[in-house]
Amino acid sequence: MAPNNENEFKGRLIAAVKKEVKQVMEESVTRKFVHEESGSVTSLCAAVEACLSQGLRRRALGLFKTSSTTALLHKIAKHCKEAAIISKRVQEIENADPTRRSSSSSESMNKPTLKKNASLPSNPLPKYLWIRLALFEKQLAKIIDYLVSNANKYYDKDALVADPDYGSILSSLLVGPCALDYSRTKTPDHFWTDPPADELVQRHRISSGHSTPPSVRRPILNFRRSLNASSDDSITNRTNTQHLAKDYVESLHQNSRATLLFGKNNVLVLPVNADVSQPMPGYLSLHQTASGLTIKWTPNQLMNGFTDEVQDKSVYWDYALQVRLDEIVYVHCHQDSETGGTVILVGQDGVQRPPIHFPKGGHMLAFLSCIETGLLPRGRLDPPLWSQRSGTNSNKRRRPLPALSETEETTKDYVFRIADNSTHKDMLKRNELMDTHISLPPKARVQLPSTSTSSESSTKSFSIDQNAPDSPPSICIQAVCDSMKRQIISRAFYGWLAYCRHLSTVRTHLSGLVNSKIVNGEGASDGITVEKWNELCIDGVVSDYEEVYRLTYFGGVAHDLRKELWPYLLGHYKFGSTAQQRLELSEETKQAYENTMSEWLAVEAIVRQRDKETQANAIAKLSSESMSGEQVPAQIQRDLSNEVFEDMLSDEDSEEKPPQTRRNTIRYESDGEVAEDEVQVNTHEELKDFIHNVIVTNASVDMGNLGNDNDVSHKNNLDAVAEENSSLDACIEAHGLASPARSACVSPASSNGGVYSQELLETFGLNLHRIEKDVQRCDRNYWYFTVDNLEKLRNVMCTYVWEHLDIGYMQGMCDLVAPLLVIFNDESLTYACFCHLMERMVENFPNGNAMDCHFANMRSLIQILDSEMYELMHSHGDYTHFYFCYRWFLLDFKRELVYSDVYATWEVIWAAQHVASSHFVLFLALALLETYRDIILSNCMDFTDIIKFFNEMAERHNASAVLSLARDLVLQLQLLIENK
Amino acid sequence: MAKTYDYLFKLLLIGDSGVGKTCVLFRFSEDAFNTTFISTIGIDFKIRTIDLDGKKIKLQIWDTAGQERFRTITTAYYRGAMGIMLVYDITNEKSFENIKNWIRNIEENASADVEKMLLGNKCELEEKRQVSKERGEQLAIEYGIKFIETSAKASIRVEEAFFTLARDIKAKMEKKLEASNPPKGGHQLKATEPQRKPTNWLSRCTLL
Repeated sequence: MAPNNENEFKGRLIAAVKKEVKQVMEESVTRKFVHEESGSVTSLCAAVEACLSQGLRRRALGLFKTSSTTALLHKIAKHCKEAAIISKRVQEIENADPTRRSSSSSESMNKPTLKKNASLPSNPLPKYLWIRLALFEKQLAKIIDYLVSNANKYYDKDALVADPDYGSILSSLLVGPCALDYSRTKTPDHFWTDPPADELVQRHRISSGHSTPPSVRRPILNFRRSLNASSDDSITNRTNTQHLAKDYVESLHQNSRATLLFGKNNVLVLPVNADVSQPMPGYLSLHQTASGLTIKWTPNQLMNGFTDEVQDKSVYWDYALQVRLDEIVYVHCHQDSETGGTVILVGQDGVQRPPIHFPKGGHMLAFLSCIETGLLPRGRLDPPLWSQRSGTNSNKRRRPLPALSETEETTKDYVFRIADNSTHKDMLKRNELMDTHISLPPKARVQLPSTSTSSESSTKSFSIDQNAPDSPPSICIQAVCDSMKRQIISRAFYGWLAYCRHLSTVRTHLSGLVNSKIVNGEGASDGITVEKWNELCIDGVVSDYEEVYRLTYFGGVAHDLRKELWPYLLGHYKFGSTAQQRLELSEETKQAYENTMSEWLAVEAIVRQRDKETQANAIAKLSSESMSGEQVPAQIQRDLSNEVFEDMLSDEDSEEKPPQTRRNTIRYESDGEVAEDEVQVNTHEELKDFIHNVIVTNASVDMGNLGNDNDVSHKNNLDAVAEENSSLDACIEAHGLASPARSACVSPASSNGGVYSQELLETFGLNLHRIEKDVQRCDRNYWYFTVDNLEKLRNVMCTYVWEHLDIGYMQGMCDLVAPLLVIFNDESLTYACFCHLMERMVENFPNGNAMDCHFANMRSLIQILDSEMYELMHSHGDYTHFYFCYRWFLLDFKRELVYSDVYATWEVIWAAQHVASSHFVLFLALALLETYRDIILSNCMDFTDIIKFFNEMAERHNASAVLSLARDLVLQLQLLIENK
Repeated sequence: MAKTYDYLFKLLLIGDSGVGKTCVLFRFSEDAFNTTFISTIGIDFKIRTIDLDGKKIKLQIWDTAGQERFRTITTAYYRGAMGIMLVYDITNEKSFENIKNWIRNIEENASADVEKMLLGNKCELEEKRQVSKERGEQLAIEYGIKFIETSAKASIRVEEAFFTLARDIKAKMEKKLEASNPPKGGHQLKATEPQRKPTNWLSRCTLL
C-alpha cells in the first residue's frame, strides 16, 4: 500500500471511531443512559477493533487466532494491570461457555439464526467481547494508552496505534465513552428499539423475579393470570392469600370506591387476639365509602415495602383491625404528654375496641377532626370538636386545642358521642346488595351516623328520588335493590349461559383433537429404557404396542434404542413381527430402494448432460453478446426459453400432469423414428460421460449399504449401462413392452429401457436441482453431515421424489429426512421410514390443506385455553394468519429445536396419536406459545413481533418442559370434554 | 427525547430459491456473511434502521422462501410491502429468466405502486457468470426499475441497493404526501392514499 493510501486509511479508521464516539455520547445525553446492547456501543467497539487490528504484528507475536486483538489483550495482561482485569473477565466468560471461542472478531459472530445445530442452546457472547467489557469497566482508554506507549512491541511501525498522532488521538477519544455508565435495564424507550428475543426472555426473568422453568406453570381453563404472575401459582391457596393481600393493601389507598380521609404510619395498637404484649406499629387509615366511614389498622408487617422477611404473614391478618364507624357510639380520647394520645372506640354493644396509640405530633387531633368531617352531614361528634373556639360551648368537657394537647402537663380525657343528624331512622334498613365494598352487614343500631349514603348510591342509575321526592328513602332503596338484584341475577345467568356455550364449542370443535380415552402416564416418565425394552421384546417379538406407545409418549426412547424402535413407531415394522420377518422386510426394502435408485440415476445422467449443454449455451450466449452485442442466435434463444416458471405450472397443472406425461410417452412411441433418433444421438454422445456418472453416484450407495468390493458393483453398473444401451439400440418396441408393465408404478415413465419423455426429464431435472440446492445447505453445522452423508441424504431425497414425481420436491423435505438419516445411518431404512412419515406430513406442504386446519384449530384452542392470549391475537387482525407457526407444523418443530430435542419430540408426536391425540403438534405449538405467553402479552406483540421472536428463539427452547406442558394441555382438554 | 424512527418501510425479498436472499439480507442487517444458511422455510424478517437525509427510517425486511410452491404464504406478505427486491443469481440463467414470473406475481399480489428493484447477486463469481450485466440492465429498463449487481459474500453494493430502494420509497411517499396534503390539512391525506397501502407507517411514527 502506498504511504498516502496508508495514511488515508488510518485517517478513515480514526474518523470512524470519532463518529461512533460522538454517537454514543449523544445517545447518553439524549436518552440519559446508554444501553449495553445498544447498536452504537457495538459500532464503537467495531471501530476500535478495526483500529487495533491494523498493523498488528500478528506473525511476530504468534497471534494466529481468529481473534488476534483478544490474544493481544491476554498478552499485555502481564504488564498492564487494566488489561489483566479485563483479560481475567474475558476468560471467565469464555470458560463459562466452553463452546465459544473469543468473539472479538467478526467471524465468530453469534447471531441466534446462525446457531443452527449447536448441540446446546447457549446465550451467544456479544461481539467484540473484550473491548465491550473494557468499555463498561472504564478501562478501555487506559489499555489503549498502554498499547500506544508500547506500540513498538506489538505493532508495525506504520500502524495506526504506533502513529504518534493517531495513537494518542485514539486513546483520548475513548476517555469520554469510558466515563459513561452503561445500563442493562429496560426502559420504555427500549421498547422501540426491537429488543431481540433473548433480551425479552431475560427481561421477563428479571421482572417476574423467578427463574422457574415454565414447566411448573399449569395454565388453567380460561385462566387470567395477571401479567408477570409468579410461576408457582399452582399452589392455589397461596395465590389466593397473595391476591387478597394485594387487594387489601390496595384498599388502603384512595380508590374509586372509597375516599381516603386519613392515613398515618406507625400507629400503635395492641391487637386483642395477639400473643404479643407490646402494642404493634401499623398503618391507621380512615376511609369513606358510600356506606359510611371505616377505620382500618394494618400491622406494618403486612404493608408494602416492609423489608424484614416474615415467613408467615397469615397471623398478622388476624391482627388487622377494621371498624365500621356506624357500629361505634363513643370515642374516648386520652391525652398524655409522653405520647401523642390514645383513642378507644366503644361500640353500641358497650365493647371496647383495642386502644389506638398515636405518635406525637397532633395526629390524634387530626384523626378526630377527619372523623368529624367525614360524619357530616348525616352525623356529628357530640360535643363538637372545635366548638370551643366559637365560645358557645358550656359543656364541662373541654375541647382539646391543637396547641395545648401535647404541651400541657396534665392529661385530659374526653369522650365524644357519635350522634346522628338524620331524621330517617329507618334508613338503616339498607340492603346488603348495595354494600359493595364491605361484606359485613351493618348492625342495627339506633343512631346512624351514615353520610350521604342514600343520595349517593341512588342517583347513580336510578331517578326514583327525583321522580318521587316525597316517597320515603326506604322505598327508593327498595326499588334500587330489587332492580340490582335482577341485574345481578341476569348477569349470573348470562355468564352461565356463555360458559355452557363455550363448553359446547369445545365439544363440537375440539373433541376431535384429542382421544376420548385418557391414558394414565403413571410410571412411564422414564420412557423406554434398555431394560424396559428387553422386557417388552420377547424373543425378538414386540407385541405390547400399547405399552410401547404409552412409554414413548410419556418419557421418550433411550437414544441407543431409537434405531431399533423408530421403525415401529413410524409403522415400518409391524408390532408382533419376528426378527426374521423384519430381516426379510429390510432386505426387500433395500432391494426396492436400489432398484429405484438405479432408475433415477440413469435419468440423472441425462439431465446432467443436458445441463452442461444449457450452460455451454448460456456462456456462448454471454460471450457472443459481449463480442457482438447483437441478438443471440435464434437457436439458442429457443432452447433457453424452454425454461418455464416450473412451479407455477406444476402448481396449476399438478393434477393433470401424470396423464400428460403418459400421453407424451405414447406420442414418442407413435412418432417412433424421430424420437428414437433424438434419444439415440443424445445417448451415444453422452455414453462415456453417462457411464462415468452412474458409477460415481452409485459408489456412494455401495459405501453406505454394502461396503463390499467396489469392483464388483462397478462391473454390475457397467453391465447395467451396457444393457440399457443395447436396449436402446434394440428399438422402441422394447420400450413399448416395458411401458405397460411399469405403468402401474408410481413413477410415470420409470422404465429401464432408457427412453424418457422430454417432460419427465425436465420435471426430474428441476427437482434434482432443487434437491441439490437444499441438500448442500442442509444442517452443514451438524457433525453428521459430511460430504458422504449429504450424498446419502440426496439419494434418499431423489428416490422419494422419483417415486412421487407428482408431489415433487418441496423445501423442507430435506429437513424431515435429516434426523431420520442421522438415527438410522442407512439409506433404504431412512427412505422407507421417510415415506411413512410423509404420509402425514405431505398434507402440511403446499397443495395439502392440513396447514389451514392447523391454524384454525390453533385459533380455537387458544380461544378455549387462554382467553387472554386470544384477545390479544384478536386485537391484531393479522394474527389470525398464524404464520408464525408455519415452520413448526411444516417440519414438526425440526427447526425450532436442537437435534437431540428433535428426536425426543418426534417420537412423542408419533406415539401421541395412539395414546392421546393425533394432533399433538397443535398442543406442542400451544405449549410453545404458553411458555412465552407472559412475554408476548406484556410486550403486546403483534404477529410480526411474534414471528421475529420465535425465529430468534429457534433451537433455544427447553424441549422437555415444552413437551410436558403439551401433554398437560392435552389432558386439560380431555378433562374438559369428559366433564359434560 | 430520542426519536426512534420517522418512517417504517416494509420491504420484501423475492427470487428463486438459492439466489442468496437470506445472505443479502444478512449482509445488510448484520454486515456479515454466512455460508451455513439453510433454506428459508416460511417467513422471517430483519430490521435495520438507516438514516436518510436526516430522517431515521426503520426498514423491516421480509425474507421469503424461494420455492414458488410456497407462494400462498409469501404472497400474504406482498400486500404490506412498500418495496420489493427482486433477486436473481448471475450464475444461474434460470433464476434470471424467472424474474419476469416474479414480477407477474408482484403485479397480481402487491400494491400497484410498490417500488421494485432488481438485484443480480453473487457478482463475485465472475468466472461462473451466466447472465451478463447488460441483460440485467436491459430487463430493468424494460420494467422501468433500478438495477444493481451485488455480492453478499464480498459485500459489494448491498448497502447501496437497500439505500437506493429506501430513498425511492421515501421520495415517492413524500411526493404523495405533498400532492395530497394541500394546506388544508391531514384529513384528506388518508383518503387519497391507495387503499391497499398500509397506513401503518403513519400511525407508527413514534415520538418518544
